[in-house]
Amino acid sequence: MMWMFKRGIGALLMAGMLVGCSSQGDSDSFSTQIFGSLKEAVTTRREGPRPKIVVTPEMLAQTTIAALQVNPEARGGSDFLRRVAARNDSSLGTVEIWNSSDNAQVFLRNGVVVGTRGVGGDIIAADANVTVRALQNRSGANGVRTYTISDGDVTTTEYRLRCDLRDMGSESISVVNLVFSADHIRENCVGGPSGDTVIQNDYWVQHATGLVRKSRQWMGPKTGYFEFVLLKD
Amino acid sequence: MKRNLSILALCASSLGFSTLIPAVAFAQNDDAFFNTTNRPTLNFYGVSGLIDMPTAEMLPDGEIGIGISSFGGSTRSTLTFQATSRIQASFRYTGIKDATFSSFDTYRDRSFDVRFLLNREGRYLPAVTVGLQDFAGTGIYAGEFIAATKNFSGGRIPGTVKATVGLGWGRLGSSGAIGAPFGSDRAKFQSGDTGGELSVDQWFRGDAAPFAGLEWQINEKWGLKAEYSSDAYTLETRSDIFERKSRLNFGAEYQVASGVRLGGYYLYGSEVGVNLQFLLNPKRPIAQMRIPAPRPYKVRPSRRVDPEAYSRDWAVSEAAASGEVRDALIPLLEAEGLRLIEARTTASTVEVRYSNDRYNATPVSIGRVARLLAAIMPASVETFRIVPVENNLAQSTVVLRRSDLEALEVSPNAPDALLAVTGFESAAPRLAGSARNEDLFPNVNWSIGPYLSQRYFDPEEPIQVDVGLQFGMSYQPAPGWTIAGQVRQSLKGNVSDDVRVNRSVLPRVRTDAIEYDRGSSTSLTRLYVSKQWKTSPDIYTRVSAGYLERMFGGVSAEMLWKPVSSRLALGVEANYVKQREFDSFLGFQDYTVATGHASAYYEFGNGFTGQLDVGRYLAGDVGATVSLEREFDNGWRVGGFFTLTDVSAEDFGEGSFDKGITLSVPTSWLLGKPDKGMRSTTLRPITRDGGARLSVPGRLYEQVRSGHRKSLVGNWSGVWE
Repeated sequence: MMWMFKRGIGALLMAGMLVGCSSQGDSDSFSTQIFGSLKEAVTTRREGPRPKIVVTPEMLAQTTIAALQVNPEARGGSDFLRRVAARNDSSLGTVEIWNSSDNAQVFLRNGVVVGTRGVGGDIIAADANVTVRALQNRSGANGVRTYTISDGDVTTTEYRLRCDLRDMGSESISVVNLVFSADHIRENCVGGPSGDTVIQNDYWVQHATGLVRKSRQWMGPKTGYFEFVLLKD
Repeated sequence: MKRNLSILALCASSLGFSTLIPAVAFAQNDDAFFNTTNRPTLNFYGVSGLIDMPTAEMLPDGEIGIGISSFGGSTRSTLTFQATSRIQASFRYTGIKDATFSSFDTYRDRSFDVRFLLNREGRYLPAVTVGLQDFAGTGIYAGEFIAATKNFSGGRIPGTVKATVGLGWGRLGSSGAIGAPFGSDRAKFQSGDTGGELSVDQWFRGDAAPFAGLEWQINEKWGLKAEYSSDAYTLETRSDIFERKSRLNFGAEYQVASGVRLGGYYLYGSEVGVNLQFLLNPKRPIAQMRIPAPRPYKVRPSRRVDPEAYSRDWAVSEAAASGEVRDALIPLLEAEGLRLIEARTTASTVEVRYSNDRYNATPVSIGRVARLLAAIMPASVETFRIVPVENNLAQSTVVLRRSDLEALEVSPNAPDALLAVTGFESAAPRLAGSARNEDLFPNVNWSIGPYLSQRYFDPEEPIQVDVGLQFGMSYQPAPGWTIAGQVRQSLKGNVSDDVRVNRSVLPRVRTDAIEYDRGSSTSLTRLYVSKQWKTSPDIYTRVSAGYLERMFGGVSAEMLWKPVSSRLALGVEANYVKQREFDSFLGFQDYTVATGHASAYYEFGNGFTGQLDVGRYLAGDVGATVSLEREFDNGWRVGGFFTLTDVSAEDFGEGSFDKGITLSVPTSWLLGKPDKGMRSTTLRPITRDGGARLSVPGRLYEQVRSGHRKSLVGNWSGVWE
């Protein structure tokens, strides 16, 4: 919430100096841009984080295509992502690109986040080989994960983390009205540019299919954690 | 509390750039960066230090600080920049009330400091810094020091204790001297001296005195300071500005926001003082930029699986195919804030030239174009040649293999991996056989909005502002041609009230600025026609004529050589101009001058850019300007310059020679949205007539550089954003 407020300040700062208009599509939209950010900042302040959307069995039944529910923890609310592309490369697993309604994307390599676009403070690239392998084998593992994360001004910071994955055992998870049995794998990582970044990711791998049906993953220092629920594959 | 202060900062910010930094310091993100109890703090001189004495500490690399302090009739405003992790530079503006050594009620002075970290603090050894205070001004604060600082934390005492000891010379060696180790021939401060020269012969001369102090940062919010000062305040006490009863100073400080600290102090046994410290780091944007995700595209099937898809028949007529590519790209690029200029395709290679009105970092636009091409081009096209164009100047050709783009987008080390296989080549002036976007010309742009112009450091009125409305219009009839004008209507300001006599002995090319302010409240600030083009892949040319700036009109021609991957660029510029009438309308005065420069630009690495201009200035004086600037990858720039010409210090007047600092902030950094705008300002301690350069709109180097290798590499991760 604070960062929203601060964004509002940034916008106002510019307003103080630059309000005006011009014929050029982009530079003229100073005022529009400012109103955009302010509106966003003000509504967030007034309402607080939005609650996440509860998916009903009817909604799920109507869904004919693959759907991924994303619940950002800090910002609140939910979004539903559509799978728009898949890529195979030299690294382990398949990367799926999921697109949101407001033009943001999440890249999942066998269910593990390896990139985001349009979220803000995006994960530009990530090496998740250790995690992908551990989830495939449904066993513990340890190794190094790397993230290249945008600072929000077209520069990036490298996060190199030492990770330890543990199999927490079998659990039953529910997705809307369906119940699955899944292996719960927990990943604890430490490291980062100043050595004090501590993250914890959780994955629930469905027994029957080997799919990551549910997860809670770190999306970068500014974005925090997102919860992912694979509603339909 | 915090909110009220933020609102205060906002109001302050409407005053313009001078208050931008304090306002931003309030707004800057409060993250782990600074949540510590061993942050460096500023002293009364606005540099890292105790109360009135310096410490050996440095600020984090790139940090910008503003300190505003007041005690005993002296008010000091200081801008400090941590230029590298070891070098700190400061510019200070001081006012001393009721100073009997000056003819003004308030004696005002400017000074520059620089300090160098000799040893970084280690486990056992302290940080050691050597510093020069007021090394080039009139010398009222002239002093040198060497200081050592060590941090102690842990144990039974909460927070961090910082202990400092040092040895000072000059002003910092005026009380409690222990001898003069490097000789005693040190000149005294002379009021009314033109100042400006480096007083090398004085440094570390005369008496030396020890100083010491402790700072205890109890927690994230509160800190206490105590020091033993070696400054006798000889001038001030002689003028009865205050009485110095003690050598000991004490204070308490409170961290108001992550970049704002406020302190209250009891100094020299008689005075109460306050110190307001602002710190901000250009590397941390106040708002994160969120760029909408690119349109997803499908990777081509492999040639083995689907050889049909790789058929080249579609490009039998290259002209027709190029036309189709153009028609498809125009709306797609427009949706990304880009404009297609021309496209040409063969069965295997496509070249796209476009202009970018949205993204400050060119790699973002390159990445967008590349992915659009991957989405629409038939599978047989393997090579993408992407050419960003800035007003008819094709900056460079970025050559990407489509298979690399497809393979690396989701790879673990995507930015570096793509950079390793990307080519940067010169762009030919024109693209022969292309399909052009016919809707680009003629193009008319206009803008209307408020303006705010500021002039600093007048002895009577330190900040002079002028506020009003400005109307600008530009017309581009054909590629590279611009006809542009700007009119200003002043509404309110305190600029024109000044009635001091102009004593400049040089042609009054800049000191007459006040006459222009008084001349008319409506002014035609610019009205000119210009044409720019490339004469060869590495040579850029510009010709301009008209009312080029508020005080001069005439003709200007420039040529620049800058290969895409070269750190060095060379340029020449020649102008013949006539001084304009004070009413800033169409008329001219008698003064004419031929002025021009040969320039060399060099990118040193780590963001440092140097520029050397040698030539003839507006007042007919001959000399050179040296500029050094640090550019952060996100577009922030902080720099300094000085000009030495054949005008003597005496003829130049106060300051002895022209010098100043420059500061630019990208709009996107403040807004958190893609934007190409920049807020720039040049701060001169004093503006005189010597070493003054014509201000020509549209100089080439900056237009060209943003699309060249060095700039692209700095933001290369942007291709994937």
